[in-house]
Amino acid sequence: MRITDRAPATNQGTIAVLVVTRKRNQAVIIGDAIEVRVLRIGRDGVRLGVSAPASVPVHRSEIYKLVCEENLAAAGAAAMPGDLAARIRSRAQDPGSDPRRTPES
Amino acid sequence: MTQADMLATVDTHADQDNGRLIVQTRFGEFEADARNMLQFPVGLPGFEQCRRFVVLSSVAMAPVQCLHAVDGPPASFLVVDPRLVLADYRCILSGPDKERLGVTGDEPLVWLAIVTVKEDQGASVNLRAPIVINPGKMLAFQVVPYDSLYPVKFPL
Repeated sequence: MRITDRAPATNQGTIAVLVVTRKRNQAVIIGDAIEVRVLRIGRDGVRLGVSAPASVPVHRSEIYKLVCEENLAAAGAAAMPGDLAARIRSRAQDPGSDPRRTPES
Repeated sequence: MTQADMLATVDTHADQDNGRLIVQTRFGEFEADARNMLQFPVGLPGFEQCRRFVVLSSVAMAPVQCLHAVDGPPASFLVVDPRLVLADYRCILSGPDKERLGVTGDEPLVWLAIVTVKEDQGASVNLRAPIVINPGKMLAFQVVPYDSLYPVKFPL
């Protein structure tokens, strides 16, 4: 099991691959505190329940990867444009730019 | 009180004479206080080995600040208070998120969104996955919500 694009936080040596068949309500345990349980098997997807300590963040991999890519782009970005502060200030005064706002019906 | 003030107040009890750091970044040279180090227990997505950061400010850059990694691979980000971009910006923290930050009540938190500058000087800000800081405990992480309506690339 190789976690896409995510380097281990520490040097953990060889990464083992476990391929295992699980039925509904069966689980795997990762380490001593993380459990991944199959809750439902549907036509289009498998519903998993992940139990982990609060110190272990759990993410959908595609969203984590999206944020990784954006962080890498931000860290490799060009110098700060001289008018960036002005652009930010003009945004704050334009509530119409809020993507959560929907046209009133 | 502005976010910069909140981060600065952490420093008010500190001895002014030691612990000053000169930090070189892609965005210039800054002075920082070694005791204003933020702990990111899981790093940032893509920068998992960066566990300690400082927030650097200058009059010339304000309201943009620089989030600079003190360990791990070199990493500096331009960041801005998302509420300066959208006045009514909100992000909800889950129970485990609060636990991770050491939040027990309704203590004030500091929010920062990462800015990405493109080659053509166009810029966007990541409102989807903001950084949240508990200044009382100097703990921080990047929130990665799966159901946010805010985009990763909000144009500036």
